[in-house]
Parts: sequence; structure tokens; C-alpha cells
Amino acid sequence: MGFLLSQALTALASASSLFLVAAGLTVIFGVTRVVNFAHGSLTMLGAYVAWTILRHLPRDPASFCLGVLATTLALAALGALLEMTLLRRIYRAPELFQLLATFGVVLMVQDATLHIWGPDDLSLPRPPWMRGFVTLLDQRFPQYDLYLIAAGPVVLALLWLVLNRTRWGRLVRAATQDREMVACLGVDQRVLFTTVFALGSALAGLAGALALPDGSANLGIDLSVVTEAFVVVVIGGLGSVPGAYLASLLIAGLQAVGIVVLPKITLVLVFLVMAAVLTVRPNGLLGRPVAAAAVLGAQPPVRPSSPALRWVGVVLLLLFVLAPLVAPSWILAIGTEAAVAVLFAASLHFMMGPGGMPSFGHAAWFGIGAYAAALSATVLAAPMPLALLLAPVAAGVIAGAFGAVVVRLSGIYLAMLTLAFAQIVWAIAFQSVGLTGGDNGILGVWPPGWVASPARFYWLTLALCAGGTLLLRRVLYAPLGYAIRATRDAPARADAIGLPSNAIRVVAVTVSGAAAGLAGAIFTFAHGSAFPTYVSIPRSVDALLMVLLGGVGTMTGPIIGALAYTGLSDLLLRATELWRFVLGAAIVALVLLFPAGLAGAFAGRHGDA
Amino acid sequence: MLTVEGLNSHYGRAHILHGIGFTASAGSVLVLLGRNGAGKSTTLKSIIGLVRPSSGHIAFDGHEIARAEPHRIARLGLGYVPEERRIFTDLTVWENLEVGRQPPRPGLSPWTPERLYALFPNLGALRTRPGGRMSGGEQQMLTIARTLMGNPRMVLLDEPSEGLAPVIVEQIEAAILALKAEGVGIVLAEQNLHFARRVADTAVVIESGRAVWSGGMAKLQANPAVHARYLAV
Repeated sequence: MGFLLSQALTALASASSLFLVAAGLTVIFGVTRVVNFAHGSLTMLGAYVAWTILRHLPRDPASFCLGVLATTLALAALGALLEMTLLRRIYRAPELFQLLATFGVVLMVQDATLHIWGPDDLSLPRPPWMRGFVTLLDQRFPQYDLYLIAAGPVVLALLWLVLNRTRWGRLVRAATQDREMVACLGVDQRVLFTTVFALGSALAGLAGALALPDGSANLGIDLSVVTEAFVVVVIGGLGSVPGAYLASLLIAGLQAVGIVVLPKITLVLVFLVMAAVLTVRPNGLLGRPVAAAAVLGAQPPVRPSSPALRWVGVVLLLLFVLAPLVAPSWILAIGTEAAVAVLFAASLHFMMGPGGMPSFGHAAWFGIGAYAAALSATVLAAPMPLALLLAPVAAGVIAGAFGAVVVRLSGIYLAMLTLAFAQIVWAIAFQSVGLTGGDNGILGVWPPGWVASPARFYWLTLALCAGGTLLLRRVLYAPLGYAIRATRDAPARADAIGLPSNAIRVVAVTVSGAAAGLAGAIFTFAHGSAFPTYVSIPRSVDALLMVLLGGVGTMTGPIIGALAYTGLSDLLLRATELWRFVLGAAIVALVLLFPAGLAGAFAGRHGDA
Repeated sequence: MLTVEGLNSHYGRAHILHGIGFTASAGSVLVLLGRNGAGKSTTLKSIIGLVRPSSGHIAFDGHEIARAEPHRIARLGLGYVPEERRIFTDLTVWENLEVGRQPPRPGLSPWTPERLYALFPNLGALRTRPGGRMSGGEQQMLTIARTLMGNPRMVLLDEPSEGLAPVIVEQIEAAILALKAEGVGIVLAEQNLHFARRVADTAVVIESGRAVWSGGMAKLQANPAVHARYLAV
């Protein structure tokens, strides 16, 4: 009995922590419609700022509260600054670009934090008053966690009061529904948006500060926190604060039960619950339908390349084929990377462009392919050709199963769910040390003798990647490809002429996942290993950048984007230690300069490329 | 009070308004008449700033507002009541009204929820009802009342009689005449000639984005050719 109680209290405490982060995210989304990827970074900064402030304060409860308050205010100011300098300029950009821009901020904050506070985890020794325990039914329970438990409902109640009992709150609720109408009634949206963003950031800061005594300020907070917050916000319903609290309780409760019953399955459990909730309520527990906004903006039809361009392609491919005759092996290594990148980008493009389904976690399929290949080669002792066959099959099957759950969702839910799914795959790879070796990865997955030489492996890679990409192109212009595009552009009409649009979308996700899986498998053999980083968020973003760089409207886009991006990032990595900061700044700059998307910016010029 | 000159507006590449012009004054009702798709709503949206005009001038109360943002235009005293009503469905009647509240305007007696409940008694009975759980007629009254909370000197009303029961239309008619009596100017977009006839002083007939006829309401009624050509269905 006492054990159950202490589990329940632990769950309530972690529900509070989850809710504090998610509440800020959901309030910001409700009004601005921006999914703020950098919300976790604000939480992380909250932890670091709190560490710096609290270190210089006396260690009594009043000073602690003062320090937390100061952190909250500091983050509010920072959030307001972020809104005024960056977000304000991208409210009209397609959702995917907004997500990408805020990811640029994530990268910049990471490097800045590393630069200011250093790489070590920073924790504060708990003051005596925090170390106390309460004995409940013979179980000792940390006093601080009781405060945390209270913090969730208190913040929920305060938010409710502010949103329902003040003019500002009424304006926010009205703007959540129809910000244009609010403007027509004489309300300056800019002030509203900046203050909303400041409030959301303050909540993130509060969450970071309050989590500090139980853990540490470290560089991993940003992505881990934002993924959890995405899950909570999606389950609760985008924009709904009470929904976020309900979802936090649900997730935390499940984790508490899961840890007791099946410790290994908690992450999967979370995802299954999310899938179940969204199947029954596609807008989350308390959410309402989000107006279908442009994920990428309107796309012109994808046309086949002109004959001239095809010849350029043939010549280019020929050059690639002949390269080993002259090029040294390090060039071939970059060539292998580039070929894999092309297939990976083309697979994402297939899902995002013609399929119209944004994916912010495409690395999931890449990683599943990589691990499937590595595990077949090591555990099953399968020969490489079989491993290369099993990998795309595994990635495709899992992608299809995932697709079956999510295809009915609108763009922004889809983007967040793909990301969450990729994070879960990452966590599984990271945690299942017995099978995947965890952080140490799976090593020694080298190609067999007959393709071991750099030139031969390069040729094999080229054949598979070029073949895979051409196959994707073939599907695009086959009746299936037309059906996929029809369901993207006019789902209702596609249904009306008898196309099973959901099934077609599942097929599109499957094909895309299988192609990404093949890319991952080749990558594994090229490097002789598989690591959790193959599934990390930065890899998903790599693919997105390649596709968006090259343009979504054409099949050549992702190819050019992949080649350009591989070359550029290689240069960047060599040139500076602050490559994350530079990359982040470059992403932000790109979105600011081309808020309609790069493809949109050049659409007029390259016509039917 | 409101002067529109050579107004051109586009939706993407589609050219919707072709040099529309008219003048509306305080304390009178001007009606924009025309068939579905003639460009009446786009004209109102261009005036309030929801559609950015590609060229032309709009002067309100001495300010050029053709490229101003909606909230600035609204604060100058130009109210907009959209055809779709756009009620905040999660907010109660009273909260909807509060969102519309702006500071009092010199020379106008400020609107309060109480005064509006007197103007639209139906709303008074529903103060705590969420906007989403109201009938179409009640929503139409609420959207007008909400705009009045901003104490506008002029109101743009987009098809307020559309799809409503005659009893409700009568109340809205009474409200328009009451506003006019207070000196508020009204620009009404309508295709319902019977309704327009009862409230309007002057008319501008719009066809395919062009102002094709304008003059007094009485003159329009005496001109069957204009009826047949531009208004008959």
C-alpha cells in the first residue's frame, strides 16, 4: 500500500514537471500557431540560469523562491526578445519552415550554452531544508517532490485565472481561435504575441529551475524535454492547457506503472498510448481541430525533367561511375556519403513532396535500416546482400505500421509525431544495451571481401542509391504516384473517385521508409558500425535541409540539395568548432530570407526542372 | 468620412476589384449591392485591411488607410462585421463583447454590454452562454454588438441579413437605424434588395469588381434597367 502511494506521488511529481514545460509550449502554439522547437532549449537555459543565480544566494527557502522567480523573469525577457527578433518575422511562413527556424535556435543555444557554462553537468548541493523526507504509510518521500506535486495544479489554476479572469487572457483565448478577427477589433497582435511568448518562456524557465534540485543543468535537457513536451501537448490537444495537464498525468502515471511492470517498455508504452489517443481523438484529449495551414505552401505539380536536364543527369552519373579510376579513396568516401545522402533525401522528398506528409523524424527509418542491417550481419550472421535486403523490409514494415496510425492526422501533428517516434527509436537504440550496445553501438559490420575495396564498395553504393532514387522517381510517375499526389491535393475528391486515400498514404510512407532504410543500411556497411546518432534529431534535420535546400517541387531538388549539403557540411565541420552555432544561424537566416521557402523563392526561375 | 478611390485588389493572381470608388458619410447608410461574387465582401475586406489592396486610396477620417494594418484601422474608429460572423465560440457572450472593448471616443456615448443588451434583448438573456452554442441570428447580433464595443464612428456590415428569420432581420434593421440616428456611418454589403431598401440612403452597384452605378436609393428603385441588368437573379 505504502509502495503504491509512493509510486503515485512520484508520478504526480513528474506530471507536474512535464506539465510546466508542456503548458508553455501549448500556450505559445495556441496563439501563434508556431510549434516552438526551442522550447526545450528555454527550459535548459532556465536550469543553467537558475544554477548561476542560486549559487550566489543564501540557501534558505525564501532565497530559493527568489532565485526561481528571478530565473522565470529572465526567461520571460529572453522569450520576448526571441519573439521580437525572430518569430515575429516567420508567422506567415509555412509550418515546416517555422519548425526548422526554431530548430536553428536550438543549435545556436546549444553551442552558446556550451561556450558559457562548459560541457560538465552542473548540479547544486541540496540545502538541508530540501533534503527532508516525509513518512507516509512507512514510506519515506522527499519533501521537495511534494512541493513539485503542488506546483503543477497551482500553475494550472493560475493560468486558468489569468486566461479566464483578465482582459489579456480573454484576448489570448479569442486569438487562439481567430487572431484575424481579434485584429479587426483593434487589438495589436504583436503585443499579444510577444507577451504570450514571454509567458510561455517564463513557464519553460520555471520548469528548468524547479527541476534543478532533482537533477542537474546539462546539455541534453533541450531535446529530451522538448520531445516529452511534444508528446504531452499532442495527447492533450494542441493549444489546450487543461489538456496538457491531463496528458501529463496520463504519461507520468503510465511511466510509474510501466517501470514497475515492464521497465524496458515505458517509452514504447508512451508511444502506444499516444497512438491510441490520436486514433480515438485525432485532435488530442481536449483539442479542437487545427485549421489546416500550409505545411509547405502550395506546390506546383511535379513535372518530369526536361531532356536537357536528363542528359546532365546521365553525364553526372557517368562521372560518378568513372570517379574511382582517378579519384583518391578519401574522395570516394565523400562520394559514398553523398550517394547515401541523395537516397535519404529522395526518400524524405517522396513522403513530403508528392505525399504531402511532413516528417520531422525521418532518421527513424534510416536508423531502423541501419540497425536492421547491423543486427542481421552480427546476430543472424546474414551475408551482406541479405542484410541489405532485410533492412529496407524492416524499415518499410515499421514505417507502414506507423503510417497506418498517423495518416489521418493533419500536417503539424504528423510532423510532431514523426519526431516523437524517431526519438523513441533513438531511446530504444540507446537503452537496449544488450542488443544494440547502447551508446557504444554495434561495431565490425564491414562489407565482405568481394566489395571491401573502396572503389568496389563505392560502386555498389552508387548502384544501390542511384537505383533506389530512380525507382522512387519511377513510382512517382506511375499510376500509384498520381494517386499519391491526388490524395495530397484533394483527399475528398480522391475518395470520391474511389481511391482508398488512407491506404495510399500508408503505401507512400512505407515506400519512403523502405528507401530511407536502405540508405541507413548502406551507411552502416560504409562505416562498419551502427550508433544511436543515426536516429538522432540532427540527422532528421539534415534530410529536411537537403530537401528544402533543393526545393520540394521537383525530383531533382533533393538530389541537388543532398549533394550541396554534404559538401557544405563537410567544409563547415572542418572550418569551425562552433559548427552547430553557424549551422543554426544559417538555418535561421535562410528561413528569414525566404519565408515562403526556398522552393518558393526559385519556383519562378526553374520552372519545370 | 470614408472615401475609396481607384481600389484594385487581387487574390493571388486573380484580379478581383477593378478601380472601385465611393464616398460614405457619417450618419447615413450606404449599401454596396451586387450578386454573389461581385466583389462586395472583398471591398469591405480591402477597406479594413484584411486584403491588401494592390493600388488605390482609402481615406478614413482624414487618415490614409490603404496599407495600414487592421488593428490600426479599427482603432481609428472603423468597425468591421464579417459575413461569417466569426464569433469566438469558446468565449461567453459577455466575453465576446469584452474582447471588442476599446476606449470611449469623444462625441460618442460609449457602448457598454448593458446598452447593447438593451439594443439586442436576445443577447441580454444569454450573457453566460458560450458563443458556439447560439443560433445564427443570435450570433449575428453578437458579432454586431461586439464590433460596437469598439465605439466605431463607421461600421462595415457584410450581409447581416443573410440566412436569418424575418423577426431577426427586423431587429437588425432596427439596430442599423438606431446607429444611424446616433450619427454612426454604415457601409452595408447586401444582395437582399428588400432589406437594403428599408435601411439604405445611397447605393453603389457592383458587378465583376467594378462600381457600375451609384446614386440615391430612391433613384435606384425608379430605375428598372439597373435592377434587371445587375441585381436580378
